[in-house]
Amino acid sequence: MFKDLNPILHSQLRLAVVSVLISVKEAEFTFLKEKTNATAGNLSVQINKLKEAGYIDVTKQFKDNYPQTICKITPQGVLAFEQYVKDLQSYLDIKK
Amino acid sequence: MEKEFTTQESLQLISQMISKAKDDFIETGVSALMWGAIITFCSLVSLFNHLFFKQSWVEAVWWLTLLGIVPQIVIARREGRLRKYRAHDDQLRGGIWISFGVAILLMNYFVLRYNFPQPISVYLVLYGIPTFAIGFGKRFRPMVIGSIACWVFAILSSLTPGAWVLLYLAGGAQLAWFIPGLILRKRYLKAKKKNV
Repeated sequence: MFKDLNPILHSQLRLAVVSVLISVKEAEFTFLKEKTNATAGNLSVQINKLKEAGYIDVTKQFKDNYPQTICKITPQGVLAFEQYVKDLQSYLDIKK
Repeated sequence: MEKEFTTQESLQLISQMISKAKDDFIETGVSALMWGAIITFCSLVSLFNHLFFKQSWVEAVWWLTLLGIVPQIVIARREGRLRKYRAHDDQLRGGIWISFGVAILLMNYFVLRYNFPQPISVYLVLYGIPTFAIGFGKRFRPMVIGSIACWVFAILSSLTPGAWVLLYLAGGAQLAWFIPGLILRKRYLKAKKKNV
């Protein structure tokens, strides 16, 4: 039987964020916003949820006198993402 | 964006986001173009000097390669500031180019100190190393071809008499950096236009 899909990752925006972060070492909030086409408010909420789950690290700093938010996937986030993809694959195999 | 979606859509979203992120991995090509142009220019000026003018002061043109470090630092800092992400291989690539720069500087020192009779072959061997490493790592065929061309030219230059070896240096710079730089630049501008 297939496993239940991780509810933290099985959400469009959170999955989009984690997929972008898995491809890079770290990314600015504006980069994630640009890639996901999300609003700043919604993205902020979803990033917070991922942070609370321990899937991403969020660092706030200043760059050229402007506030900057840097997001980075954690090892726990990488494992969760890998497991999520495996679960998706087993789900699709069973459906075939 | 918070709505129920199927497993199929999840997989599609993952691959779409990874590919979107990769769109930004394209380099501007400015550094490759600059170094390709500098080395070609110096080689050709030096070649014409050896063939026609025979003036020792003209060889000072090679100082341009040292002066090129200044715009290179400016370009690297500017590109770093504008980038909104850091890729997994950024540090590795930086390390490859820095070690290449150090190797070239040391090579210049030894060439001057021991008055090498024909150092061009060794320079071409060195040019090929970072170019191959980056091209192979990034699966960017023009750089792989350019690096192999540098090594072939290194062999040919050891068999070529006189100042004509400088043509191989110019050819190596064109194939390893200038042409790949042009291709990168074209891709970068295309991707930038797509993202606007």
